[in-house]
Amino acid sequence: MFQQYIFNTLITSSLYSIIGISFAIIYRTTRFLHFTHAVVFTSGAYFTFLFYKLFGFSIYFSITLAIIFSLLLGCLIEKSIYKPLRKKQASSMILLLASLGIYILLQNLISMIFGDDTKSIRSGVVKEGINILGARITPIQIIIIITSVIVTILLLLFLKKTKTGKAMKAVANDVELANISGISSNRVILISFAIGSALAGLAGILVAFDVDMTPTMGMNTLMMGVVAMIVGGNNIKGIVCAALLLGFAQNFGVWYISSQWQDAIAFVILIIFLLFKPEGFYGKKLRKQSV
Amino acid sequence: MLEIKNLETGYGKKQVLFDVSMNISEGEIVGIIGPNGAGKSTILKAVSGILTIWNGDILFKGNSIKKNSIAENIKSGLTFAPQGNRVFDELTVKDNLDLGGYLLSKNELKDRIEQAFETFPILKKRSKQIAGKLSGGEQQMLALARALIPNPKLLLLDEPSLGLAPNLLNDVFEKFVDINKTFGVSMLIVEQKVNKIIKISDKIYSIKLGKVAFEGKPKELIGYKEKLKDLFL
Repeated sequence: MFQQYIFNTLITSSLYSIIGISFAIIYRTTRFLHFTHAVVFTSGAYFTFLFYKLFGFSIYFSITLAIIFSLLLGCLIEKSIYKPLRKKQASSMILLLASLGIYILLQNLISMIFGDDTKSIRSGVVKEGINILGARITPIQIIIIITSVIVTILLLLFLKKTKTGKAMKAVANDVELANISGISSNRVILISFAIGSALAGLAGILVAFDVDMTPTMGMNTLMMGVVAMIVGGNNIKGIVCAALLLGFAQNFGVWYISSQWQDAIAFVILIIFLLFKPEGFYGKKLRKQSV
Repeated sequence: MLEIKNLETGYGKKQVLFDVSMNISEGEIVGIIGPNGAGKSTILKAVSGILTIWNGDILFKGNSIKKNSIAENIKSGLTFAPQGNRVFDELTVKDNLDLGGYLLSKNELKDRIEQAFETFPILKKRSKQIAGKLSGGEQQMLALARALIPNPKLLLLDEPSLGLAPNLLNDVFEKFVDINKTFGVSMLIVEQKVNKIIKISDKIYSIKLGKVAFEGKPKELIGYKEKLKDLFL
């Protein structure tokens, strides 16, 4: 039983970690809460459903296409909505409201096209999970954990070693100084949207393979990612630690309280951090202008 | 080297500069003084490419840079160190220098960083330290080194003394002269510390209400308290 909780913690944490990192990559450079990210996450699942189930493409080709389309969706939102708003010097509150509006619009669009019922991209009969150290775990859950580890390592290396990664850190730190150094902040923001959206799409696909999909699947998962980002201090290593804390608290919390309170546990942790350690695990103190 | 002709610009719809003309020759250090809100920093922002120019023209080495982007200006040899010695305070000293040479090739950047470490040895010692944890003087050196990485011909400095302890001021201004002499870098410096800037400048401009109120040699101001008072009120 204990081993099962440990594995459940790892699975939950891995998912929160991917979605938290994907959200943070965008937030660090733009400094506003891009809630439409929830639909980009959902789009990964539905694009896979479209290509794999409706168009009959191979599963790997469908997944690749779905990630590319999620990436393009994120970039399209940035190019057509956020960038023009930034040009008009819109505040982060205006951008936040715009993102909520697009979120509702696109989520309804998914409902209109695919319906509100649960869709599945899994094929064949549901099999019993593999027994590892006395815990049952499915192959897709193992893939979720491995993907999360790979994504974290690759992103850390990308930010540390590449010129574009350093430019992203520069824009995140001081956008005006970055521009003065000859860095195009708009280009860097677009790259952030591309990476963040591709990761969100990938996370959506993984969740869909694990527990199927509905048009509203994005927001709840995104909220957990946002909590992980805030508790982690908007830092990749911090987000991983926060995701582990949330996963642990949620999975072990159900020993004592009903599982319907799992999300509430995450928000209690968030409130505790906001009150006593608002900069999170690794972060700097929150900036006044950040929304 | 730099010729500003009848420059007019501002923020949004608010005009800040009115018919500003200036001239900076090769190898010169030119100081811009004037009261707060006069438009001194706006001149540097317009020259560096941050602000769009409404009217007039800016010639750098004989070519108009009126429509140049910031990156194009850096490539042509013009860099800007913004107000208050700003550095990327969450990043390391080395990262700051790398970002100063964002537009350089890998080999060029390596050479330029080596040179920066020779000019500012303390930065080599602190290369792995987070820039935000450096002292005020060290941050000032880093901001200057970062602006020098692209090997500029003209360096625009906006209030480099801002936030510095008084005992560091002489060293900082001596460093400007040293860099000017050693590397032949021309400098256009906006500065509130009038007594410091007139000592190192070849020419002084005073800006008042967005217009040039004075243009001349520093010796025309040294000792003339009333004249200086008039320029600042």
